[in-house]
Amino acid sequence: MEKIVIVGGGAGGLILANSLDPKKFDITVIDKSPITIFQPAYLYIAFKGAHANITKPIRSILKKGRKFIEEEVIKIDLEERKVYTKNNSYSYDKLVIATGTITDTSKMKGLKEINDQFGDYHTNIENAQKVWKSLNNFKGGSLIIGMSSPICKCPPSPLEGAFLAEEFINKKGLKNKSKITFFTPYPRAYPSEPINEVIEPLLKSRNINIMTFFDLDYIDTEKKTIYSIEGDEISYDLPIIIPPCVGVNIEYNPSNVLDEDRFIKADKYTMQINGFDDAYAIGDATNIATAKSGVTAHLEAKVLANRLNGIDDKFNGRTNCPFDVGYGKGTFVIGSYTQPVVKYPPTRIKHMMKKVMQLIYWQSLKGTFDFAFDIFFKMTDPEKLNKKYK
Amino acid sequence: MGKRIVVDARGSSCPGPIVELSKAYRNAAVGDVIELWATDPGVKADTQAWAEKTKNKIESIKEDQDKIIIVIDIENR
Ligand SMILES: Cc1cc2nc3c(=O)[nH]c(=O)nc-3n(C[C@H](O)[C@H](O)[C@H](O)COP(=O)(O)OP(=O)(O)OC[C@H]3O[C@@H](n4cnc5c(N)ncnc54)[C@H](O)[C@@H]3O)c2cc1C
Repeated sequence: MEKIVIVGGGAGGLILANSLDPKKFDITVIDKSPITIFQPAYLYIAFKGAHANITKPIRSILKKGRKFIEEEVIKIDLEERKVYTKNNSYSYDKLVIATGTITDTSKMKGLKEINDQFGDYHTNIENAQKVWKSLNNFKGGSLIIGMSSPICKCPPSPLEGAFLAEEFINKKGLKNKSKITFFTPYPRAYPSEPINEVIEPLLKSRNINIMTFFDLDYIDTEKKTIYSIEGDEISYDLPIIIPPCVGVNIEYNPSNVLDEDRFIKADKYTMQINGFDDAYAIGDATNIATAKSGVTAHLEAKVLANRLNGIDDKFNGRTNCPFDVGYGKGTFVIGSYTQPVVKYPPTRIKHMMKKVMQLIYWQSLKGTFDFAFDIFFKMTDPEKLNKKYK
Repeated sequence: MGKRIVVDARGSSCPGPIVELSKAYRNAAVGDVIELWATDPGVKADTQAWAEKTKNKIESIKEDQDKIIIVIDIENR
């Protein structure tokens, strides 16, 4: 039986493991953690003080016939076909890497200090709780939401934070005493133009200042000021800054399968790691030029399951990122490798669809709702939508 | 004379090339030249806005068969 080792039991790794037939493959998932986390909820812990339990044991999500090993992988030798943990090594016929990303606050001076003090909503539950505490301690002044690097998990999430922070401040009656600023290294608030045309007027109508071309250089925590390499500066009272998103610390042989941010170089259609026909990478861990989102991890896992079964399926780059714009409304960022992002207006229904996702998330990792996803993805096909929303 | 940095952002579409450009700019110094290769037509307007913002000079914008080549003199960093 072909031995498939999947490193990482998050959204991508679990969907893949559950999509493969254990009668046909010997399937092992290795994760350093016994639990998996529903990360989109970080946003609601940070900005709404949500309390729901957002973790589940990996074993409870894996269907029958799949093995789980709880160990941290430290080295992967693609030449020797071996995965090393601290005490063991595992060989494979086919390897799939689905290790996601980590945040790195060491890259810019001052970032670690403000992250320790105020938190962020891309690292873990504790940091998201810290943001909620910081917001509740805020008495007015300059509130900053910013992206310290252009690469970020869930591309709408930086702006979602800005929208939800404004809603919070407004409801607390602090709007008159506060200035909210969103900074981004991109040329506009949201990088892709069609959805930016929908989002930017909303930001303006809520008095959220936008600073574009702002590449964070360093933070002076004494002067409480953030500087960009383009030469701009902003002073802060409450800075909520998304740290750079990078690949995890696993050593690879050969090391050139990683890019400078430790993302794995993989083919955007087949997810095959460059130079290897027995190793793949899916989800946030890759350098594939599409959104780092659970939906992408899901779709890549499904394509890869087909490929491992000998079907010549290809990933089309489809994105479907929910975008909460505050006050109970939302939209989606929908596009693909061949279709530009749709100019999709926010509505209440779209926000409710995001909420439904939270309810069905664990079951969807098991494949229970595959039929519903198929219908949903067909209904929201970007080619179709682009004809309707011009 | 500074160094010449070639940034190959072909195939990445909006806002890909600008991301690659700003990454290169982070490690550049005054006197360097950045040569940006891209296929996305939006790159021209975005790079012009970027150069204005960062006070750097666009030396030339050329199109050959399979790419757009933008040469930027780094005068400010
Ligand atoms: C604020 C926020 C909002 C988001 N909103 C959305 C949304 O609305 N919709 C959406 O689709 N996505 C959203 N996402 C993104 C989504 O959570 C991720 O894209 C998704 O989890 C990626 O799945 P993955 O399998 O690639 O990685 P992950 O789910 O991160 O899993 C990686 C796994 O690898 C394991 N691992 C890492 N290193 C090692 C190692 N050395 N050894 C062993 N195991 C290891 C980890 O423990 C983890 O279990 C959001 C993310 C954030 C932060």
